[in-house]
Parts: sequence; structure tokens; C-alpha cells
Amino acid sequence: MFRTTLQRTVPCIRLVVAPGQFRLNSNAPAPPSKLEVFIDDKKVLVDPGTTVLQAAALAGVEIPRFCYHERLAVAGNCRMCLVEVERSPKPVAACAMPVMNGWKIKTNSELTRKAREGVMEFLLMNHPLDCPICDQGGECDLQDQSMAFGSDRSRFVDIDYSGKRAVEDKDIGPLVKTIMTRCIHCTRCIRFASEVAGVDDLGTTGRGSDMQVGTYIEKMFLSELSGNVIDLCPVGALTSKPYSFSARPWETRKTDSVDVLDALGSNIVVSTRAGDVMRILPRLNEDINEEWLSDKSRFSYDGLKRQRLITPLVKDNKGNLVPVEWEDALVATSRALINANGNIVGVSGGLSDAESMIALKDLLNRLGSEQLYTEEPFPMTGSGTDFRSSYILNSSISGLEQADLVLLIGTNPRYEAPLLNTRIRKSYVHNDLEIALLGPKVDLSYDYEYLGESPAILKDLAEKRHAFYAKLSKAKRPVIILGAQQFEREDGAILLAQAQQLSQELNKNADKGWKILNVLQQVAGQVAALDLGYKPYNNLPAAKVLYLLGADNESLTKCKPAGTTVIYQGHHGDAGAAIADIVLPGAAYTEKQATYVNTEGRAQQTLMAVQPPGMARSDWKIIRAISEFVGVKLPYDTLNEVRDRLTDVCPSMTRYGDLEPANYLVQASDLAKDLSSQTVSTPLNVKQITLEDFYMTDSISRSSPTMAKCIQAVRKQKESKYYESRA
Amino acid sequence: MAFNLLKQSANTVIRNAVVPSSTSVTRGLFTGAVQLAKEDKGLEQVYTKKESLLLDTNNVIGKTSNTSVQNYIEVDNKVDLSSVTGVPEEHVKTRLVKISKATKNVMQSGTDNTHNWVMEFDNRERWENPLMGWTSTGDPLSNMKIEFAERTDAINFCEKNGWKWYLEAENKTRPIRSKSYANNFSWNKRTRTSTK
Amino acid sequence: MNNIFPFNKFITGFNIIKANGGPLNAFKKLFRHDELKIGTLVGTDEMGNRYYENNTYFYGRNRWVEYNDQVYLDYDASQITAEWYGWIHYKTDLLPYNDPNRPKYKWMAKHTENETGTERQYVPYSTMPPKIQAWVPPNKN
Repeated sequence: MFRTTLQRTVPCIRLVVAPGQFRLNSNAPAPPSKLEVFIDDKKVLVDPGTTVLQAAALAGVEIPRFCYHERLAVAGNCRMCLVEVERSPKPVAACAMPVMNGWKIKTNSELTRKAREGVMEFLLMNHPLDCPICDQGGECDLQDQSMAFGSDRSRFVDIDYSGKRAVEDKDIGPLVKTIMTRCIHCTRCIRFASEVAGVDDLGTTGRGSDMQVGTYIEKMFLSELSGNVIDLCPVGALTSKPYSFSARPWETRKTDSVDVLDALGSNIVVSTRAGDVMRILPRLNEDINEEWLSDKSRFSYDGLKRQRLITPLVKDNKGNLVPVEWEDALVATSRALINANGNIVGVSGGLSDAESMIALKDLLNRLGSEQLYTEEPFPMTGSGTDFRSSYILNSSISGLEQADLVLLIGTNPRYEAPLLNTRIRKSYVHNDLEIALLGPKVDLSYDYEYLGESPAILKDLAEKRHAFYAKLSKAKRPVIILGAQQFEREDGAILLAQAQQLSQELNKNADKGWKILNVLQQVAGQVAALDLGYKPYNNLPAAKVLYLLGADNESLTKCKPAGTTVIYQGHHGDAGAAIADIVLPGAAYTEKQATYVNTEGRAQQTLMAVQPPGMARSDWKIIRAISEFVGVKLPYDTLNEVRDRLTDVCPSMTRYGDLEPANYLVQASDLAKDLSSQTVSTPLNVKQITLEDFYMTDSISRSSPTMAKCIQAVRKQKESKYYESRA
Repeated sequence: MAFNLLKQSANTVIRNAVVPSSTSVTRGLFTGAVQLAKEDKGLEQVYTKKESLLLDTNNVIGKTSNTSVQNYIEVDNKVDLSSVTGVPEEHVKTRLVKISKATKNVMQSGTDNTHNWVMEFDNRERWENPLMGWTSTGDPLSNMKIEFAERTDAINFCEKNGWKWYLEAENKTRPIRSKSYANNFSWNKRTRTSTK
Repeated sequence: MNNIFPFNKFITGFNIIKANGGPLNAFKKLFRHDELKIGTLVGTDEMGNRYYENNTYFYGRNRWVEYNDQVYLDYDASQITAEWYGWIHYKTDLLPYNDPNRPKYKWMAKHTENETGTERQYVPYSTMPPKIQAWVPPNKN
């Protein structure tokens, strides 16, 4: 008795001592760099630590799974991925089991097939047979896999005694609809919420067949990424509330496009049916959004159907905008432009595409005006916008995964660019990234070192006086992200200069070629506008004609300058259209093939999913038509010709999908040197502090009823006695 | 290919003419190819069954012998089929084809449809039938979506048909992250699960 | 004699012109109907169209209608009323007022011509709810 106990204990003791010994022993054989495994008798070489499932994927064999997801932690609870391993007594769960050298894995053996069939049978036993009324029907993993791996008959006869399990539905907000009876407890949604979104709202209660996924007490799933659990859910337990019962996946047309509601340019798929946008899904792009999408980009598509400009409008003699034909509107526009005698100011908005911006620029230049501005400000002191590296996110979105320290200045990336925040959080979780925040204290969904909200701290950092500088200077790959909205401040130039100086200091110790300074833009159109030579809007000169290309900025439209004819071209009746004398209906981003450059300087194009509504037309075509009426015909007739012109002005603009790096950080810093010594005292502030500030930021999301419901739901949740703020 | 076949069958016919074999002509008229198959495989009983012959594809295509490569006809100048395909001129000159690799549907975990290069045409006007609300289109190519194994095939196809095309760069996939079940329980890492 | 100089054709022509009210009226009628015929007025319908018959013309051309003068050149075959339709299409030889099997009820609608191409034509309208909601500019007055 004692002997066996001792025998069992001794190896344990050895294991405890072992690590230190191994390290000392330099003669020990190095672990093999690659393991050799056989997937269905096909040899694959994999790194140690690779799971069976990943090894099979390398061999081109896809193992069925429900709970496993590439971007989430391993849970290993659905058992669908059971495979046979030779000389193993039981089938192993492929998603959780690391491979050993020489393993022979059989993914299609009798045992494997039987194991899958058994798992399928257990899952289907408590899964309702409501596929015909289920929104997941047609794109359901359970449907697919029961067809491929399930049994062809059912042994479920227990309908009289206990029947199928039934679970009460949960109310987790206006975006995600829950039908919890369909849940197969894969816990993907829970893992997404806690790992990617950083919100521990979802969890399980109960055990066995009483297990339930939910929020325990009824509350809203307070996350800006909540829509992604709809994609993740392998069954129809979590479906989209706005999309519910409206279309089937096989009857929609899918158009690949790019999202423009934040500056990241997430890749999306626009599903349309009968000229109507039914839903928006993320499209896999490892460099930008991986496979996530923020709620605003995903659900504000109903804003594309409301408050639209569908006819040209011209002010009559009573001062009311009345619908007119295109010809009348174009005549009125050209008359105004000609009468202005070159005294024209053009302002492009945050949702404008590069094609229309270049067309407007060419038109106004031909009419003798150089006054073209973008809605968003940027300091023009120092090098201004001359160097591209001054206004883009230099280290790139995916580059953040290599960073070892991130300093956020005057920004709340969680709501300004949710998918940038998930990258930071990903690094925080997996690479032990350290984050520091300078600005108002906000909940970023991860822990960070709070430096304060005084901009003087930035000066202290730049002059190496602050305590945090020691940590910063040790970082090999530090990243500074400066929120573009700080440029709205009068002293924005000083902040930029100080950040530039700080990044130059850090550069000395950082890895070679690593770019430190990043500017996080707020809107999708800004980088393209600055690339094309638009000047940032700091203060507007008086002009006879103000041409607003989708510009709805509050400061711009607050008071209409007297004696100015305002022409508004855009797709939504927002602040800009309200002050306009002539309104020209343009197309929204789902209705035109257009170029956008995201905050990291990557040109991407949207494709036309539906027609522009009513008499609305593609924006560059409108400007092209005006040019003919004015008498300075622009030399392009087709989209390709406009893009040739774009290529002339900015060659990177038509290299779609490619990241165009820029590196004039040193020069920009040198030119702004004299500014950085000045002191700024007003505390930093950001516009989007809490979740309710996130939903409505532009003319599309402002007119979306779903977004309005979200704001209401968040406010209601905040009144709940169970609500606790984490900021 | 056809040329190769023709050549081989011609050889057989000539050989049969020179050396008359006892088994060769049993019934009716044979085409050269049939004759060839019969000669090589001895499929005499098949003839008597009055069924179409199962020919060895290698004989028909002519892949087996080393003569196969030299029998291809090389065409030097660019092939443009647009004048003979019957596609209206409007749909040759004004269409833009997008060639891209399909991405995985994020709603599903299967990846079976993501291995091909897809060519698609630009989206044209659709309108609503005023009575029933059905959608109509005047675009005959709106449903044409062709999959190719290689992007060069897709490009060649577009070139041959005279369509303007552009290639959407393939989404580069990252090296797989090593995943471990143990990470969920590691006491000193942030990967430790906070929620069950 | 007739073979050399067709007197009787002149006489017929003269009679036709005379029956149609002199050269000027005959010319007007010819201009309106591209045809000048002589026949018996067998009836008039409620639309004011006059129906003629002359069996010396061969079958198929022996019954005709002269439309109400007020419609002038805008005449159309659908202006022939339902009761005369059968007679003029040779479905019956009985004139409508001689036909005993023609019931008249109060609820019978007045005849209307085909309104296609006129202002009163039927135009199908969409029964679909609008998919796009337009922006209504604020009214200042």
C-alpha cells in the first residue's frame, strides 16, 4: 500500500523540481522544432502546441465543431470535434488536444463518425424542430452538420413523458434577439463577451440540462460589439432583432463593400433583396476588422432608408425648399457658381468618397477657387498636412498586435473605433500589452494606467519629467495614439507637436523602423480628403457660395452666413441640408462604387449594392453634370476615368487593399519643434464617453431608428439598480 | 486535343487498311475513334450490345503518349472571342468584372466555398414592379457568377471575352495562433477565463 | 357605249355626292372617313352615331357607321354601343330596336368608349409601401 503511494508521489516531486534542473542542463536535447503527425495517413509537420484541429486544418481536413472558434479561447464543451487517434482508448476532442509526435489521427474512421453521430443525437434531442421559422435557417451550423454527420433517423420518442427542454427567452437589448430553447451551450457568446468585447455580461447558470446561457439578472448586453454574438452563434439562439423574419440568406444578393461609419473602413457584406438593404455582415479581413463589426456599422442600415434626399430641392421665393427637376437644380447651381465669380468655398464631409472630392476640387479649381476644406480640423502649423505620416495611423491596425506599450492621448478608441479597441484588447489579453491613457477616464474594457486628463502631462512626458516616461522609454515597440478630435481645440497643434516630440524621443530606444506616432481619425473621408489636398477646416472664410459635400458639422451649420448661397450635396437631410438653398441628392455608401481611405491610409472601395433612391445619383456624376452646366467641362465621363485622375493626384488611392506607409515623422517633428515648448492647461475631453454617445455620430446613424432604440435601452439600463459603471 | 485524336485515329485507319485483321469489321460503320478503342482494348463484345462505347479518356484526349504536348496548337496572338460569343456589344464594352476570392461567411464555420476565385459583374439598375413589388432587372449578366480554381483562369476568361476586370487582392491569412485549453486556467495570464 | 364612256359611274358618283349633302359636305365626309357611300340610315345610337345599310355593296361593306360629328377625327370602334355591336359585326340581322330579346334594365351602365390613350385612362399604381422615406424640409413661411 505504502509502496504504491510512494511510487505515485515520487514523479510528482520530480515534476516540481524538474523545471529548474532542465534549464541548467544545457546538454538536454532541444525540443523538436516540428512535430510529425498523420492526418488520415497524410503527413503534416506542425509546431509543438498545435491542436489536433489546427493540424487537420493544415492538412485540408475540416473537423466539425460548434464551440470551437478560431478567435476565441478553447472551450471544448460541445464534443463535436471528437476524432479517433490511433492507440488512444477514447476519441479525443480535437479542439483542445495538442498533438504529440507521430500521432495518427483518423478524421473519418468508423469510431469518429459514430462519435459525431452520437454527439449530434444528444444535441438534437433538446433542440427544437423550428428550422422553418428560424432566422438562422440556411446558414446554421447545426443544420449543416446534422445533414453531414448526423443520423438519418431519430430515436427521440420521449415526447409524452418529459418532452424537449424549453428555456425562457432573455431580453438582452434591442439588437440581439434570443430564442434560448435553441441554445446548444457552446458558450461562444460568453467567450466573445468576456474575451473580445471585454464585458462580462453573459454567463451560464445551472448545470446539465438545466444549464442556461444568460445575464443572470435581466439586463442589456452593454457592448458596442454585441452584434457579433449573432454571427458567432452556431444555431438560431441569438439572432438579429432588426433583421428578424425579414429575409433568408439564399434569397439575398451579397455585395462586398466597405463600412464608412468610422474611420477604420471595416470590410462588410451588404445583403440586399428587391433593392433594399436587408442586413450588413462583417467580411473577413485580417488587417482591419478580422471578422468583427461594430454595432453602429452593422445595424444602422435602416438609417439609409429614412430622412433621405430623393429629389433636388431649390428654395422658392418664400424661402422654402421645394422639389424640382434635376435640370432646374443644375441651372440654379451653375448660376450661383458663375455669379460667385470664383468666391466659392467647398467643404467635404466625413462620409464623402474620393471620387466626388476630386471632382469637386477640379470643378472649383477651374472656377478659380482654391478654398477646399474638410469638415474635420487639423493643425496647419509646422508641416501641417504636407506629410502623410502626420495624419494617418502609422503603425497600422494589425501592427498594434506587435506593440508592447500603447499610450492613448485624448481618445476613447472603444467608441471612436471599436475594432481598433478589440485589437488593443487582443494584445492586452494575449501579449500582456500595457496601456496608458491620457484624457478623461473612460471604460476601455481593459485595465490601463491612468495618467490624468491634463495636457500638461504630455508636455512633461515629452520633456522626460513624468514618472511614466521611464516605462515608456524602455518599450521596444511603443505606440502613441492621438485622437483627431483634439485638433478641434485651439491648442491642438501644440498637443500634436508634443506628441511628435515624445515619439521622437522614444524612437531612440525603439526597434528600428517601428513607427510610434499615430493619429486616429474620426471619419472615413478625412484621410482621402487630406491626401487629395483638401485643407482642414479650422475657420471658414466668408464666401458667396458655400458648397457642402455631405458636410453636416455642427460648427459649420450652426449659423448660416448671411449673403451666402449654400449648396448641399449629400444623401441625408441633416443639419447641412437644413441650411441649404439648393439641395442635390447624392448616394450613400451602399449605393455607389467609390473609394475610401481608412485611418491607416489603406484605400478601399465600396461597391454598389442598391440603386440610389429616387432621383439621387452618384456624387461624382452630379459634380460632372454641374461642370457641364457651368461651362468648365471636367475631362472624365466614366468611373475609370475619374480613377485615372485620382491616380494622377495620389497614386496610392487606387491601389485597393494595399497599405500605403508613410514615414516623414522626423521632419514633421522638427518643423513643429518651437510649438512643443508651449503649455496647455485646458483638460482633455472626448465626445464619446459612454455607450450611448457611440450610437449616433453621423447623418446615417442619426436617422436610424435602431440606433435610437439602442440609446434608449442604454439609458434605461443605467437607471436599473443593478447597473454599475466601470469607468 | 481534337487534332491529336484525329491523328491517332487516322493512323489506326491506315494501319487497318494495310493490315486487314480478322476482328476488325464485324458490324456496320465505325468511326475512327471507335475503331481505335476496339483495337487497343479488345472491346468486341461491346459492339454486339448496340450500346455506345465507353472510351478510355486517355485515348480520346491523347494524354498518355509523349506526343500530347507537341500536338497542341499554339496561338500566338491574343484570343478575343467577344465578336463570336454573341454577347451584346454593350455587355462587353461597358461591364466591369470583379475577380476575388470568396471570404468565409461569418455566420457559419464551414469553409468549403472559400477556395475558389469568383468573377462577378458590376451591379446594374434594378427596379420595382409597380403592381406586385417584384424586382426586375434588364441585366442578363446579373446572375452570372463563375468560379475558377486559379485567378489566372479567371483573368484569361475575362480577357478572352473582352471584359474589363479588376482583381481584388487575396486576403492574407495570418499564421495560426497556438491555442491551448490550459490558457483558460493559467493563474498568471490574462487569458484566464473570468466568466463561465 | 358604257364601255367607252362610263356614264352610269358618273351618275352614281353624282348621286353619292348629292346624298351626302353637296360637294363641300361630301368632301368633309371623305376627309373624315376616307370613304363616301350612299345608303339608308337604319338607326342612331345613344352616342349619336349613325348606322347605314346598302345591300348593293357586297357583304362586309354593306353596313357601316358614321360616327357622331362631334368627335370629328377622334372616332374609335369602341364608340359603337353594345346594342349596335351585334348588327354591325353581322352577328345578327335584326336591328337593335327590332330585336325582341333585348332586355333593358335600370342597372345597365351607359356605354363608354375605350379610354386608353386619353386623359381618363387607367394607370396602374404601386401597392407597395415606399421603401425609402424622404426628408421633408422644414417649412418656414
